[in-house]
Formats: sequence, structure tokens, C-alpha cells
Amino acid sequence: MQTQIEARALTKDFNGFRAVDDLSFEVKEGEIFGLLGPNGAGKTTTLRMLSGLLTPTRGEAFIAGHSMQNDQLAARASMGFLTGDMDLYRRLTPVEVLAYFGKLYGVPKSQWRAKGKELIEAFGIRDFQDKHCEKLSTGQKQRVSIARTLIHDPKVVILDEPTTGLDIMASEFILQFIRRMAKEEGKTVIFSTHHMDEVERLCDRIAVMHHGQLQHCGTIEEAKDKTNKNKLAEAFFELVGATSI
Amino acid sequence: MRTPIISTIFQKELKEVLRDKRMIYLIILLPFFLYPVLFTIIGKVGQSQSKKIASEKVSVYLNPEGQGTPVFERLREDTSLNLIVQHFDQAIIDSAKNTIGVYVDPNFTQIQENKGSAEIKIYADNSKDLLNNRRKRLVRKFNALNDSLVHDRLAAAALDSTFIKAINIQEEDLATDEEMIGKILGSFLPMLLLLFIFLGCIYIAIDITAGEKERRTLQSLFTTPVTTREIIAGKFGAVFTIGIVSATMNLLSLFVAMLIQFSLMSSGDTASGGGDAPAFALSVSPVGWLWVVVIILLSTIFLAALSLAVVLLANSYKEAQSYVSPLMMLVLLPAIISQMPGLELNTTTALIPMLNISLAIGEVLKGSFDTGMVALVALLALIYAVFALWLASKTFGNENVITGEKVSWKALLSRK
Repeated sequence: MQTQIEARALTKDFNGFRAVDDLSFEVKEGEIFGLLGPNGAGKTTTLRMLSGLLTPTRGEAFIAGHSMQNDQLAARASMGFLTGDMDLYRRLTPVEVLAYFGKLYGVPKSQWRAKGKELIEAFGIRDFQDKHCEKLSTGQKQRVSIARTLIHDPKVVILDEPTTGLDIMASEFILQFIRRMAKEEGKTVIFSTHHMDEVERLCDRIAVMHHGQLQHCGTIEEAKDKTNKNKLAEAFFELVGATSI
Repeated sequence: MRTPIISTIFQKELKEVLRDKRMIYLIILLPFFLYPVLFTIIGKVGQSQSKKIASEKVSVYLNPEGQGTPVFERLREDTSLNLIVQHFDQAIIDSAKNTIGVYVDPNFTQIQENKGSAEIKIYADNSKDLLNNRRKRLVRKFNALNDSLVHDRLAAAALDSTFIKAINIQEEDLATDEEMIGKILGSFLPMLLLLFIFLGCIYIAIDITAGEKERRTLQSLFTTPVTTREIIAGKFGAVFTIGIVSATMNLLSLFVAMLIQFSLMSSGDTASGGGDAPAFALSVSPVGWLWVVVIILLSTIFLAALSLAVVLLANSYKEAQSYVSPLMMLVLLPAIISQMPGLELNTTTALIPMLNISLAIGEVLKGSFDTGMVALVALLALIYAVFALWLASKTFGNENVITGEKVSWKALLSRK
């Protein structure tokens, strides 16, 4: 299988503070890759470098074989990116949001229309497709946001804490969709979360970060073996040097 | 840069603005009604005040020695005066309401017979509009009395009135009504115009930059395969369009209000007016109007880009609003200075942004302008507009700005 995401010695400094330090990993096609770490570990900075929002101080990021530093538009065109820091345009409807991003990604009109209809059905958006986004519930907004991320049918999907703030039903919906995307459509998914149960259910491999450095990169079983723990949460605490509760 | 992408961003920004009732109210409805209503109210209030001042009774104290003199006669025939003949001093006049004192030289008649000059003193509180108005009326009356007495003396000496008028000064105002209106408009319109453009630009600039950051929608735009220049172009286009629409609405409203005022003045319906008020017309040539349009467009480009560059540094609507006042001072202060008497468009003033725009538009409206100088202003306005766009691109291209981190101007400008 082809490598779809590659972080090559990524390093990011903010005013003398090193947020990410020499981080390297690869994610293969169809893989679900979990990025774990306590707050301040450098997860969001890593994902922002992968998406091109931040420029690495050193190192390079590749998306679907395109360098995010040297071939940014092609790299971005292959990627759908969603973080908790992103919201929808309040005065646009879900249909208009999908159309807007379809056009920005340069998708032909017939294609984004067809894909939009498919996503509206898949995410159960039809009932509120013509409401202004400011009137949607948090769960409804998150569905539209993920649909917006997928409007151009990207090879790579990067999700930063996609279930934060959602109730159990909405979370379950999102998690099942992530699995389907990777396993049925062959998309490569990287997502960060604080929920260990989500990681155990979905991820093929994980990376654990602490103080900007990679503590572990491999399968969940490898993490447990490496730390001699039976549960992922315990292995996580061990890897980040914290006392388990 | 890809036109379809820029157009997509531009259309989306306009669509969002047009769905914001507050923005519609600020840009279109408010200016449309503001000036006609404001001008009508001011006109009516002014008219009513003038009528009141003209008809209200004022008491005039005259010292008893003044009785029997022509001064007494002149005062008595004015029905708006309540004449009281009695001794008075300054304190009495000062403490009494709506009262003026007229002190006539006790030897007035004798002095006149001896062909001397008799003194008349007027005591009035000039800080009060009513008393100041009557004081002026009394001065006119006494000047007319003086002319009459001098005429009698000259006649008695068998002399003509030219005897005491060696030079007869005649004045001819060569300015046409159009030029006078152009002068009046040129003195305040450029400043108002810059204010309207700035207000039109700044609020939409805040909405689509800091507002987007606050609403957490800006980052998603920067993860799409769109260049920073395309994003700036789309957003700038929206700010520019709204700036022009706002300025046009404000100007239209202002012209409608002025037309109403001029028609009222022509029909003698205002306090200041009579039937001889000039018709509302300007002596600006088609080329002059073309220059005005070019300068306005370039100023709008400058103000739109400057607004974007500055307010994008803010992370919230509230923070961005705190930048509005200093920015407005920066824009309007030179325009206000341009109204100072004697300040003209020359190679020095043409270099100062906003001051040059204000002076150039003012001179074109007056009907006589130096084409070379106005062209220089247009060229400089273009240079400033390009600089502001460069500044906006620097701001937009900064990752701290996009991710909502704090950013200093030093870091912004030193970034490669």
C-alpha cells in the first residue's frame, strides 16, 4: 500500500519554544492513524503543519505524495482537514457551504453536486439542508463540517478531535463514518483524540506525543507490549510519564 | 491567480453581507434616510429660531436726555422694541432679561446744531443671539440716522454728498453660482466622502476577517487549494464593492438633501433664504468628473486594503472595533486639515495621503484645477493603494494571523 501521509523530521518553534521536535511517521492508504497526547503535546501543531496552516521550522510534510511546502495546492487538494477550531459560515445553508467548498477545491459542478447529494444523504443533512448554519445544533453542524471536508473526495482526511462536544449518538455516527471511509473507500485518516475507547475501536496504528516528541509509533498492541500494560490508557500514561489514575 | 476562485470567494462574502440585516441598515438604509431627514430637521429648527428672534420683543432703556432727539424717534417707530425712558447703568441692563441700553449724549441737540459729533452708546450682551441681533439692527438704524444728518449738513453748506466721498468703491463678484456652490461643496464634501468610504469598508473588513476568526471560519479557507493572493483578491473585492456602494448611497442621499434645501431656499421657505438663492448646479467638466471618479476609486482601493490589513490583526470583532477610531483619525485628520484656509494642492501636499485626495477633489469641484497636479495625486493614490494591498497580503500570509495567535507589526513586516 502507498504512503499517503508522511511527516519527515517535522519541527516547529514558537518564539524559542519548541512545540514539535523532529517528528517523523508515515500513514498508509486505507489506514486509520490515531495521534494521541496530553494537552500541549504538539498534536494540533503537527496536524496544522500537515495541513499547511503552519510552516515547519524544519522538516517537510507530504500528502498523497505532494510536498506541503513545495507543492502546496496539490497537497491541499488531496486532503480534507477539520479541527475543533473550525466552524461553518453562519449565514450560509449546508447546501451553500458544500457548493462553496466544492468550487474552492476546483471540483466540476456536476461532480460536487452529485457528491453533495450523496453526502447530504449519508450524513442525514436533508432535513436541515436549507437552514442557515447558525440555527443548527452542535451535532448537525459537525455533520455538515465533515461533509464539507469530504466534498472533493480527498484521499487523505485529517480530523482534530472530531467528536469533542458531541453527544454519544452524534459521536457514534462520526466514528462509524470514519471507519467506513477508511475501510470501504480506502481513504487515509489521521485523527487526534483524548478518548482512548475511540482509539481502540478505530485505529490501526497510533502515535503518542509528549512535549513535542514522538514517544511511540506503532500498533496499539505494540504500545501495550512496550509498556507492559494491558490497557491502552495505562500504556498511554506510561508513555507520557504520568501516573495512571 | 484564478478568476473563478476569486469570484467564488467574492460572491460568498457579498452573499453573507447581504444576509446581515445590521450591515444592510448601516450601508444602505441609514445613509438613504439620514441626510434628507437631518437637513430637513435642521432647516426647520433654524427657520423657527430665526422667526422667533425676528419677532420677539426686546426692552430698550434710553436715558431721559435722549427724549426729543431723532434717536428717540427712530427707536419709538420700531414695534419690536419696548422703549423705556429712564436713567440706567450697566448693572441694570446686565441683570434685566432681554434688555439693551442706549445712552445718548445729554447735549445731543446742541452738538448737532454746532455741527459736532454726538456719542451714542449701546449696552448689550452679545453672547445672546436675540440681543446681538437687535444690537446689529440698532447700529443699522443709527448709521442711517447719521447718513441723514450728514446729508442735511452738506445740503446746508450747499455741498453734494460726493464732497465727503472722495473714492466710491464698487465690487463685482466674478464667481458664478456654480463656482460658489463648487467652493462650498469642495470645502466639506471630500472629507465626508472619505468618511463614507472608510465606514463602508471598515465594517465589512472587520466582518470578513476578525469576524471570521471569531466565528472560526477563516482556517478552513486556508486549508483549501487556494492561494493567499486569491483569498485577498476575493475578500478585497467584497470590501471595495461595499465601500463604493456605501459612498454612493451616502452621496446620493446628501445630494438629495441639498437639492431639497436649495429648492426650499429658492422658494423663500427657509429662514436664511429669500427668492435670490442660487440654483443647485456645478461647473465641473466631464473630464473633471472623470478625475473625481478615478480618485475616488483609487482611494477606495487604498482604504479597503488598509482596513483589511489592520483589522485582520485582531482576533475578535470587539478587538477589531478598537482599531476603528485610531484608523479613522489617521484617515480623517489629513482630510480635516485640508479645509484650513490657504492650503492648496502643490507638490508637497500632493505627497500626503488623504490630504492630497481631499484637496484634489475639492479643486475639481470648484471647477478650476491643474490637471498635472490632479494626475500626480491619482498616481500617488495608486502607489499608496498598492502599498496597502502589499501590507494586506503580508498580514494574510502570516500563519499567526490565520491561526489566531498574537502577531506584532515588527514580526509581520520582517517575515520573508
